Amino acid sequence: MKNDILKVRNIGISAHIDSGKTTLTERILYYTKRIHTIHDVKGKDGVGATMDSMELEKERGITITSAATFCEWQNHEINIIDTPGHVDFTIEVERSLRVLDSAVLVLCSVGGVQSQSITVDQQMKRYKVPCIAFVNKCDRSGANPFRVIRQLKEKLGHNAVTMQIPIGLEADFEGVADIVAMKAVYFDGEKGDDIRVEDIPESILPEALEKREELIDAASMFSDELMEAALEDSVTEEMLMSAIRKGTLTRALTPVFIGSAYKNKGVQPLLDGITNLMPCPSEVENRALDLDNNESELILSSEPKKPTVALAFKLEDGQYGQLTYIRVYQGNLAKGDTVINVRTGKKVKIGRLVRMHANQMEDIGKIPSGYIGALFGVDCASGDTFVAPGIRLTMTSMYVPEPVISLAIVPKDNKAEISMSRALNRFCKEDPTFKVFVSGETGDTIISGMGELHLEVYVERMRREYNAEVSTGMPRVAYRETITRQAEFNYIHKKQTGGAGQFGRVAGYIEPAADEDFVFENKVTGGSIPTQFIPACEKGFRKCLEKGPKMEFPVTGIKIVINDGHSHAVDSSEMAFQAAARGAFLEGYAKAGPVIHEPIMKVVVETPTEFQGSAMGSLNQRRGMIVSSQDEGVMCVIESQVPLAEMFGYSTVLRSLTQGKAQFTMEFATYKQVPKGIAEELVKKAAEAKKNIA
Amino acid sequence: MIYLRERNFNMLKKELIFRNPLRLMGHETRDILPPGGFGAVLARAGLGKTAILVQLALDSLLRDQNVLHISLADPVKKVSLWYEEVFRNIADQYDITEMNQLWEAILPYRLIMTFNIDSFSVPKLEERLTDLTEQNIFLPKMLLIDGLPFDETVTASLTALKTLAKNHSMHVWFTVRTHRHEDLGPDRIPAPLLNVADLFEVAFQLRPEEKEIHVKALKGGPSDSADHPPLLLDPSTMLIKDKKIED
Repeated sequence: MKNDILKVRNIGISAHIDSGKTTLTERILYYTKRIHTIHDVKGKDGVGATMDSMELEKERGITITSAATFCEWQNHEINIIDTPGHVDFTIEVERSLRVLDSAVLVLCSVGGVQSQSITVDQQMKRYKVPCIAFVNKCDRSGANPFRVIRQLKEKLGHNAVTMQIPIGLEADFEGVADIVAMKAVYFDGEKGDDIRVEDIPESILPEALEKREELIDAASMFSDELMEAALEDSVTEEMLMSAIRKGTLTRALTPVFIGSAYKNKGVQPLLDGITNLMPCPSEVENRALDLDNNESELILSSEPKKPTVALAFKLEDGQYGQLTYIRVYQGNLAKGDTVINVRTGKKVKIGRLVRMHANQMEDIGKIPSGYIGALFGVDCASGDTFVAPGIRLTMTSMYVPEPVISLAIVPKDNKAEISMSRALNRFCKEDPTFKVFVSGETGDTIISGMGELHLEVYVERMRREYNAEVSTGMPRVAYRETITRQAEFNYIHKKQTGGAGQFGRVAGYIEPAADEDFVFENKVTGGSIPTQFIPACEKGFRKCLEKGPKMEFPVTGIKIVINDGHSHAVDSSEMAFQAAARGAFLEGYAKAGPVIHEPIMKVVVETPTEFQGSAMGSLNQRRGMIVSSQDEGVMCVIESQVPLAEMFGYSTVLRSLTQGKAQFTMEFATYKQVPKGIAEELVKKAAEAKKNIA
Repeated sequence: MIYLRERNFNMLKKELIFRNPLRLMGHETRDILPPGGFGAVLARAGLGKTAILVQLALDSLLRDQNVLHISLADPVKKVSLWYEEVFRNIADQYDITEMNQLWEAILPYRLIMTFNIDSFSVPKLEERLTDLTEQNIFLPKMLLIDGLPFDETVTASLTALKTLAKNHSMHVWFTVRTHRHEDLGPDRIPAPLLNVADLFEVAFQLRPEEKEIHVKALKGGPSDSADHPPLLLDPSTMLIKDKKIED
């Protein structure tokens, strides 16, 4: 680890799916001599890229979990976290950007700014992470880096400036022209190892000069010296880079590099850009809240002698216990140190400390300020702050988005159930966007996550890592039963065949009660039902609410009034009147127009305006009622009310309808009567289910 | 059993429709405007134009007619609040106990759309409308446009809207903001409406007179007479009331 913090860079690589993040990271590791062979993400050799160490990642050719590594370039130490592109694994991007100092936003030169590009950009904004953009895949047919730069400006609002122009494109992509140094760079050798610098070809020189002028114009906003030099036509490379750096550190400027990681072109200049333009840990302002001082904000210092402040941002439960990834913001974290977990207040002794290289680890003695490492044997949660004894500072945790999709999960047998439980506990601990609960009403175990792929991966991991065979399905909807009109009841419960008998008569009426689950009113006069048996009547009625007579759904919105009855001196008892109440309920309920109610959700869809029609159509198809539509320029917000029963799988549908650019939220709104056709179907299904059980 | 409940609601709706003071403007049993027709509610800022529009809308909603409420001035939440408040006031006035159930029953007939005033255009509205009608999501019979600036460029927009309204067999109500300092034209038509008055079948204005807000028919409504007593806007409830009853 470097002693000079000025020579450290902590960067994340983030982008939309398949933009080339992992391939880029693989090339970075190769050119920095961290690895000696390049393997492809979806390679025929089946080895997979270094950072995709999970079997599932290699098989599917996708990154599922973020992976950390480090390398050295031009005497700078670069700590890298490669992140997934699927929105399902967004928590990995969230946690990585929380602890990193800068990021590379990778964009496909054909696809440009895509849905997850927008999301990761928002995440970078959230944590104020400076970024440089890398327009990748310039060897692809249809590549157009300047179109991508335009999209960066228009769709993401970046003040994007190109640092290079391509020499050839698509199959003719040969190299890049550096418009700061005004030199052409070519990547020779089988793996692009050998850099050849020459003059910029005449054919692209006018374009290079034009782009250089634009670059100087943009950068001069951050440097008076540059502005003066530009007027005098005496701009130097150092002056220009210094101004670009100033703009980049404040997120006011986004330098753009060009290349093709797969074709081994453009990576080394990108590494130069990272070392020259990205901040070191001491240049990034990190804040903590002082719990001893009304949670006032405190700026942390990267001074190694200051008290330790560190943030745990990722957990992995493995065979050696819990591995906690941690970023040290102030002071040092050394083996043998005692620190305090601010959330729990518990003292923790630091045992084994490691530095990660994908799934491999290297033992280290300490993690200095500005570095990321991992520790073993500490029980904590993601987002926990660790501090030296004597101070009570806490760092804000990462933002955790709410899950959008749920599935019911059923283990195959008892053995699977135990394994499934262990697996679910572990996954929940490691991934705050993966949630598990048991429905109090239906008894289903429900797993929730960020998308179908998210849940699919966990189900597969349950099978592979825990041998737990499970099946999944749509969660059961919590229907309700209620009545629509008043009906009278007059029920006698009588069992008097000899010996101790039972007798009770209960009379009154049942009627709908708006805004209440159950109301019981006693209007019995003259002691026709003795006072001591009134509570038993109420108990009997309440018992009936748990499973309605119609479909065995819970009954709500009922008011029961008892106004008459009869008792027997010997045979009346609490049990008798409970039974009488139950009979009275069934009698009245059947005449009171019972109906089934279903939960209606308030569904709010935020979508680009061009997909408004499709989004509205998709809601309408789900028996949704569109309530409103609010135009907000490029986006619009549609509010609707949709039955929960129709919302299963909606996130996938919405993504495919809107190219992944729309999002939706869902919350409970009210209960409404189920349409006749649906009610009949439910009755049919319930009858079939009963038949199967019998 | 469900029919009984529906019958009660239908009777309730009929009563509310019958009691609606807008009926007193001389249009007893049909819409005030024909398909393709334009109506305008004119007033200075803050006098109650939106409240009138909402009452017109509620009248249609009670008759199971789809209403598309477009607002260029307020967000969805605020427009929604207008409806809730006016409906609550109506329910209080007529002692309706099943207010919630009635509200749930008429809600499916209303759709609110808001636009940024700078980015609103008739082609944009037409696109949105097509999204709704082509997929049979919502076929409005009444369109309310609240907050359209009646400036020198409005004629072209109104002409295009007229065509749109006719094509979709909708009638349209507009709010028109007037200003104290503006001169009146012939027939006391306020300046914002002067150049486009021929596009409108009905127009009425809210005029403060001493402590009352009068609802004056400028075009298409009944003249003041014993058969059609003056209408007022009650500032406490924002409901239209009959001056005769008031007296």
